Parts: sequence; structure tokens; C-alpha cells
Amino acid sequence: MGQQVHNIGSSSDWVVMVIYFIFILLFGTYFSKYNKNTNDFFFGGRRFAWWIIAMSIVATGVSSHSFVKYSAKGFQYGLSSTMTYLNDWFFVPFFIFGWLPIIVYSRVRSIPEYFERRFNPTARFIATILQLLYLVGYVGIGFLTMGKAILPLLPESITFFGLHFSVTLMGTIVVVAAITGAYITFGGQTAVIFTDLVQGFMLLLAGFLVFSFGIYYVGGWDSFWNILPVDFKLPFAHFNEPPDFNFVGIFWQDGVAGSIGFLFMNMGLIMRFMATKSVDEGRKAATFNILFMLPLSAIVVGNAGWIGKAISLIPGSPISANADPDSIFVVVANLIALPGVFGFVIAALIAALMSTVSTLINAAAAVYVNDVERPLRKWLKRVQADNKAEEKSLLNTARISSVLFTILGVIIVIPFNTFPTVYEAHGFFHSTLTPPLVVAIFLGFLWKKFNPSAVIASFIGGVALMILGAYYPDPLISFFAQGTRMDPAHPFIYIGALYNTLVCVFVAIAVVLVTPSLYKIVGKIKDSENKKSIIYTLIALSSAIFLAVAVNLFSIWVLVILSLLMSFMVALTTMFYVKYDPDQNTIGLTIWDIAKAKEMFKGKKINDSVGKTIRIKWKLKDTDDETINFSVNDMKLMAAEKGDFVYLCDARKYLGGLKSFHSVYGEPHNEDGIVYISQDQFESALFSKGKILTADKEM
Amino acid sequence: MPSFFNTWLPFIYLYGVGGVFFVAGLIITTKSKALDLSKKRHRFWFYVLIGGFFYFMIMHAIWVVAALYW
Repeated sequence: MGQQVHNIGSSSDWVVMVIYFIFILLFGTYFSKYNKNTNDFFFGGRRFAWWIIAMSIVATGVSSHSFVKYSAKGFQYGLSSTMTYLNDWFFVPFFIFGWLPIIVYSRVRSIPEYFERRFNPTARFIATILQLLYLVGYVGIGFLTMGKAILPLLPESITFFGLHFSVTLMGTIVVVAAITGAYITFGGQTAVIFTDLVQGFMLLLAGFLVFSFGIYYVGGWDSFWNILPVDFKLPFAHFNEPPDFNFVGIFWQDGVAGSIGFLFMNMGLIMRFMATKSVDEGRKAATFNILFMLPLSAIVVGNAGWIGKAISLIPGSPISANADPDSIFVVVANLIALPGVFGFVIAALIAALMSTVSTLINAAAAVYVNDVERPLRKWLKRVQADNKAEEKSLLNTARISSVLFTILGVIIVIPFNTFPTVYEAHGFFHSTLTPPLVVAIFLGFLWKKFNPSAVIASFIGGVALMILGAYYPDPLISFFAQGTRMDPAHPFIYIGALYNTLVCVFVAIAVVLVTPSLYKIVGKIKDSENKKSIIYTLIALSSAIFLAVAVNLFSIWVLVILSLLMSFMVALTTMFYVKYDPDQNTIGLTIWDIAKAKEMFKGKKINDSVGKTIRIKWKLKDTDDETINFSVNDMKLMAAEKGDFVYLCDARKYLGGLKSFHSVYGEPHNEDGIVYISQDQFESALFSKGKILTADKEM
Repeated sequence: MPSFFNTWLPFIYLYGVGGVFFVAGLIITTKSKALDLSKKRHRFWFYVLIGGFFYFMIMHAIWVVAALYW
């Protein structure tokens, strides 16, 4: 680790930063008026155009794979820092034609809810814990990165009203966390989407400003290209060397576990796609983002490191080869940019990190409200009869839980800060937390035979084998390491993802394959007079084995065999208690019946006939029913029938669907060019008086 | 000059192993009719998916050559 720097930047930089933050806070708070209920707060009312979501994902994606950590690796290893931005395409078919339509059409509000529908409440409970750990961990990584980005700008100590304070990383993080909590708590998803939209542009601008200034500083493109050693110009790291940055480990950690984790189980990102007006718009947002925005983002986040390396190789360079990698972005930006411009660049970076973190806090709150609070209220029979009052109360809970997850995110920074750089901390986090959920999601939506016993066994047995991998990286992980050396301080940070994924897959498949035999055993247990004693013994034995693994009580191979035995005992116990119908529990929830899922979403047969988009004026109607009413001729133009789904939107395209809502075609009338909507629908969409709308038949 | 382990081996591994996942995705989505090639819109997406794979592959190949020889 290099030397920590302080006091970078001038007063004009601070002025720019303060103005930027005030602007972003006010901007986010403005959009809080679009939150009428938890659907708006979490999913932005499912109304936005693809380009708004694609741009808002830039800010979230860029900062979560941030300037700080990629500039660090760019400085240490060159252009191969871009690897992780250019390896996300392999799972896109599964995402845009599998997972995305399933989560939209099944109307699940969170991934754990999918687990309950597809498997059972226990699977949902375990998935909730894993999902919250994942999200809070991500928040922690975000705070750590923010702290490391801001610390170089601050003095070593400050005096305030005569009191002397040392400026520390944790102190900086606490202050930043307090500011971050503000606009998410009051703004909700719509605020996040729109602030991210602005910040996406700002980030790209800031990144390319640094790149342009940097290239100019080192004497032009040719000079930059020729200064860098050949291995610094390559797009890939060395296949399996060194332990802290190698291709094969990062392929499995990021390209496989990370990409699937980010696309399939990151509620923050999934909620963005769910905020698009349709599945097809979600597909456009995802593909545009991966094809065009990620390559641009790779340059934006890594270039300060490449420039820093080039400058460090110039004789008499102001940048030392031993500079702290995690500070290199700030050091380079300060060196090459003018005062004020540097302030803008740093403000864009920090604001983008705030976007990521706030998105994740919003997602954690969504998981809490939907997977803990709602089921708990049902169980305690405390659901209010008045739907509006219940929604208001849940919205307050969402805001309070946002604050609590912010605090947890700050606490979790402490263990992450023990890693040499943010990159390694993030790599370890992904390798460890994503595999169990990723395997469960993937097998769940791809394989109808995957059942509750298998998913719970893979969660518990898989985690036990992962713990053993952490205790005994050699030989358990080294067997899969493909030549990667083990760093005793942080063994197999990246390639550990392959081992963790494989053990979860192994347990899951093994249990499915022996399911018929397990059913026979469970049948015999149920017929036995001592069935309760047998099951309690199985539960006690499973718990004892998990505890033995957790405290590493026996030798490695004994523990491996016990973990496998425990997996089957967990499967038997689950099978004993859980009622599961393989036909009912998979309808509309696997890739094999997406068409059925779409029909279930609509509630009747899909109208696939192709109609036109029409431009129309709106009027308020007296009744409060949820349908909207077009003329007979307008419905013919749209090829629509009564009961079909319709999307009504302000015709000004630059609003990107902000003023819009979904509804159902009601009884037609005879006034061509007019649509009648209710007062509630008007309040949800906030249409402007006299403005033309467009109407599309959805399905 | 960097070794094969630094240049083409990662390239082959990325598009070989990654390619297996990608092709598996295409096969499963088409076989399940989630990607229904009888629909015009889905055919468009099918071409986007294939094009995207080669877009990244060609980008990386040119990049390796540029780093080594330009």
C-alpha cells in the first residue's frame, strides 16, 4: 500500500463541489412528488423509456465498479483494468429472454418473493438474508470507495469551534453516509433515476475530461501509447499471475459470478429494469448499456490509472511509482486538470458513488419492506384495512429502513478496509456472497426439476462447503485454481468464485438427482410411528454438523463428507415439511413457459395483433374505475379490445415517460381523439393541462 | 514481448468458455420459445445477440494486435 496523501485541491474546487452537491440534492428532492405509494418509491411506477434507464444505469454501474478501484488497477497493470467491463455479454440471452420477462410478468416485488413463489417460504427467508447481506456489503464497498476518494482532498486535521478533529477514513465515511441517506430517503426510485440520469452524463464528461487533459499532459496520443510498456497496453491480464490480478480468476469472479450477480440478483439494477415501461424497453436498456456504455465506462473509470502510469515513467515525474493505487485517480486528476475543473471531476465521481450507494440502499429497503415487513404484518394480522393508509405506513417503514441500511453499510466498511485495495475487497465480496444465490436463481428459472429440497440443501450445504474452502484453500480451491498462486494473506480472492459456484451447483444437482429416492425415504419416515423423533434427530444432526464446520472441529475430509451428508439430511427435512407441486409451483416462473407468464400477467389471452401508436387529448371523468376510455375508432387504430393493456404517456419524448401510466381499455365512446382518465390516474401521471399524449396498446 | 499467457490464451479462454455459456443461453432460450424466432421482433433480438458476441470478440482481437505491433 502506498503513502496516503492529504490537502489536494484548491478553494475553487471546493466551491464547485458544494454547488454540485446542492444541485443534486435539490434535483433529487424535486422528484419525491412522484412517490404516491411503494410501487412508485421502489419501481418508479414502471413507466420510463429505455434511454432514461440506460443512462441512469451508467451512473450506477460506473461507480459501483468505480473510478477509484479501476484507476488503481490501471495504474498497477495497465489497460487490462477494462477486462471486467467487457465480459458481460455471455449471459445476456438468459437475462433479456429469461429472467427479465419472468420477474416482470410474475409481478414479484423482490427476488426473495420469487423464491417463495417458485419454492417455499423457507427458501424466501434464506434468500432474503443472502440478498440483504449482498446489498449491505455493496453499500459498504461504495462507502469505502467514497471515503478513499474524498480523504486525499481533506487536511490531516480540522479545528471546529476550538475543538480539534483528526480527519480519518471512517470519520469521512460517516459524514458522506449522512448526506447520501438524504435524497434516497425522501426521493425514492424516481429521484434516483433522474439524478442518475444527470450524473451519468456528468460522469462520462468528467472521465473524458481527465483522459483528454491527461493525453495532452503526456504530449499527445503517440507519446502516451509509446511510453506504456507492451504488457500495459494489452486488454487482458496475465492468465494466472499475480494473485492480486490475473485473468482466469477475474473471469470466474467477475465475468461469471459478478456478471450474473449484477444482472440477475442485484435488486438495485433489476429495479431499474422493472422501472421501464415494458419488457422490450428493458431489453433495449440492457443491451445498449452493455454494448456501448460499458466500453465507454471502462475508459472513463480506468484512464486516470493509465495516465498516472505513463506520467510516472517520464523522467523527473511528479508521480511516484510507489503512489497509493487507491489515491491515484485523485492525484492524477489534480495534477492535470485546472482548479475548478478538478472540483467538478471529483464532485461527479463522488456524486456517482452516491448514486450507486443510494440505489442499493433503496433496493435493500425494498427487500426489507416486501420480504420482511409485509409478511410479518400479515402474520401478526396488523395489515390495515384502508389500502391507502397501509401504503403510507409502508412508505414510512421504507424510509426508516433506508436509514438503518445506511448505518449498516458504514459498519461493514471495517472488515473491507483490511484488504490492500478496494478492488480486492470487492473481488472477495463477490466471490463469497454471490454463488449460492446465483446458482439458486439460475437453476430455479432454467430447470423445472429444481425443487425446494435442492435449493435449501444448496444454500446450507453449499455455504458449509464454502466455509471449508475458506479454512482449507489448499487443497479445496487450489484444485480449481488453474495455476493461480495462493496468497496466504488473502487466498484465492478471485478463483474462489469458481469453487464456491461449483460446490453449490454440485449439491443442487446431486439432490435433484436423488429426489425420487429421497421421496421414498420420506414416505417411510412419515409412515413410521417415530416420525417426529426421526425428523428432530435429522435437524439436530444437521445443526451440529454445520456448527462443526463453522468452527472447523474435525479434519478437512471428515468435514467435507459430513457437509455432504448434512446436505441430504437438510433435503430430507425440507421434503418432510414442505408441500410442493412441481406443476403449480413452476407455472410462469421458469423460462419454459414465458408465454404462460405473460398471459397470467394480463389475466386473459394476449392480443398480439399489431396496432398503431396514436396521439390524443385527455379529459377527466367522474367515475373512479381503473380503466380508461377511448373512442371506437381510436381503439380500431390501436388494434385494441376492451380489457387489453394500454400505456398512456405525455407526447414530449424528452420526458422519457416521467408523465405516464399503465391502464386497461374500458368501454369505448364516440369522441375521436379523446381519452377519459380518472382523478387518481391524473395524480399518478401528473399530466400537464393541454398537452398531447400518446397511447400504445401493450398486450 | 509478452507471452502467450498474456495475449491469446486469455482471449481463447474468454470466448471459448464464455462462448459455451453464450451458446447455451441461445439454445435454451430458443428451445423454450422464450426467444421465439417466428416473431419478427425476436429475430431482431437474436441478430443483436449474435452481433454483440462478435462485436466484443473482434474488439478484443484488434486490441491485442494493436498492443503487440502498433
